[in-house]
Amino acid sequence: MANVEFLSGGHPATRHRAFTRERLIFGYSLLAPAIVYMVLLVGIPFFFSLYLALSDASVGNQVARYVGLSNFVAIFQDSTFRQALRNTIVFTVVAGIFKIMLGTLMAFLLVQDVRGKKLIRSLVVIPWTLPVAVSALAWKWMYDPQFSAINYVGTRLHLIQGWPNWLGEPGLAMAAVISVNVWRGFPFAAIVLMAGLSAVPLELLDAGKVDGATFFLRYRYIIVPVIAPILFVGLLFDTVFTLSDISIVYLLTFGGPMGTTEILPTKAFEIGIQAGALGRGAAISLVLFPILLPVVYFLLRNLRRRETV
Amino acid sequence: MSGVGMLGRQAALVEAGARRAQARVTRRHLLVYLGLVPFFFITVFPVIWMGITAFKTDADLVNPTVFPFWFHQPPTLEHFTYLFQHTYYGDWITNTLVIAACVSLITLLVGVPAGYSLARLGLPGAENMGIAIFLGYLIPPILLFIPLSRVVALTHLIDTKWALVLVYPTFTIPYCTWLLSGFFKTVPKEIEEAALVDGCGRLGALIRTVLPVSFAGILTAVIFAFTLTMQDFLYSLVFVSVSDQKPVPLGVASDLIRGDVYFWGSLMAGALLVGVPVAILYSFFLDQFISGITSAAVK
Repeated sequence: MANVEFLSGGHPATRHRAFTRERLIFGYSLLAPAIVYMVLLVGIPFFFSLYLALSDASVGNQVARYVGLSNFVAIFQDSTFRQALRNTIVFTVVAGIFKIMLGTLMAFLLVQDVRGKKLIRSLVVIPWTLPVAVSALAWKWMYDPQFSAINYVGTRLHLIQGWPNWLGEPGLAMAAVISVNVWRGFPFAAIVLMAGLSAVPLELLDAGKVDGATFFLRYRYIIVPVIAPILFVGLLFDTVFTLSDISIVYLLTFGGPMGTTEILPTKAFEIGIQAGALGRGAAISLVLFPILLPVVYFLLRNLRRRETV
Repeated sequence: MSGVGMLGRQAALVEAGARRAQARVTRRHLLVYLGLVPFFFITVFPVIWMGITAFKTDADLVNPTVFPFWFHQPPTLEHFTYLFQHTYYGDWITNTLVIAACVSLITLLVGVPAGYSLARLGLPGAENMGIAIFLGYLIPPILLFIPLSRVVALTHLIDTKWALVLVYPTFTIPYCTWLLSGFFKTVPKEIEEAALVDGCGRLGALIRTVLPVSFAGILTAVIFAFTLTMQDFLYSLVFVSVSDQKPVPLGVASDLIRGDVYFWGSLMAGALLVGVPVAILYSFFLDQFISGITSAAVK
């Protein structure tokens, strides 16, 4: 750089300033399209949804009136909404617990040094890589009331009694949709964990062994502290995906039977799009926002750490 | 005791040790494989079952008296030919490809400059701007689909595939900008400085030196733009209700189900035909995807 300044002459300080200014203009103009795109199609819609939620806007009625918080009051008085909120929380928490357990177990098996592990790994991640609507259809077929493959296998192995209608019975439907989410998500948890396990410094483990640490101690003080943050980040991402996924419930049960699998995304879709009550629908999806806020906060803090390291 | 005998016994001992080690390796392999069997079954079975269903005749599918997981009549392609002859499946594939191509192009046109700018130019506030862009990835479609339906209605693109071309970049741009910015950081600065000294403008230096060596990163970004697009269901459901404008996942899920009648053969055929290529493509790049979203935690 110094060479350029020397050759082109002029006062070094002015040159430098001009150089910096030129670089800044260049930099911001490269960044501008991305910022503009995100502001127009994420930022403005987000604030627009706040506005909608405070109005009585509907598809038919173009002139919306400000109605304060009455949309929120109304949805919280609606018992089907409260059920959807409860279901959303149950869905996310129960599915999260199973994803972590199954994912951890599979990750420890997959990091073992055995032949064919690459091939095995690329097969067991299929649930995560298949488009989610495709998986939902596959499961709908497996839960089919007449030809359920699950029942066929289950009854012959004496794991299932009778011929349950998985998606049609209130007690079973929630378990059925949670299973699909777990099926889809646990390979993601496993892969994230494997990335974490490969980050455990081997020297530390060896040092631990030399110092006489038992497997449990090594696990507790070396492996867990290294993989805990990465598992946490994976779980946060998964929570964002799970909270906002409509396709599994939409395609499998559409919230039924009797609202037992209704979650906030399907509720918002029914009210906001199908019934055309934009204001009410926007209010329902915004209820997810306070749930997402801490998740997003932790994720962003994590990103910031990446930037500063 | 003769020296030869000593040597012989030692060799035998070594051999026994090797056998034991071998046995230990075999046992560990067996244990790991045994542990993986249930996982393998759970993850792969639904896909295999889809495959069998797609090639079975209807009569075979609904026959309750036979073992369902095998063919009792010769495999058939009738479900696939049905898709192409009697549904919009061909259009859906075209739509999906057009959408994916346009979204990838928009993502690159916007994401490459932004990623480069964030990674290289040391702008004041670059970090916060990068995080603001990534925030777009964390505000899920479920919060945006209702207001976006109004925005899309304003553009008169509603019910066309172009509506999806417009909205999909809202999640591909943040992710790919982030990915590319990480990638550009690994390109040596010297290459670019040499080009600057040689009289290239900054833009010239970017196009002639940084882009060619970033081919792998750019390819990865394109793959993700494509696979993330395929994972969407909500936006296509809300913005496109005209049959011949739908992408494959929505088309299969909505148009192949009429009333309460499920045509499982053609449903599975249609789902599988796009699902498997996408899954394979995605799994090749899965490691990059994971490191893209978790790399901060590793450090």
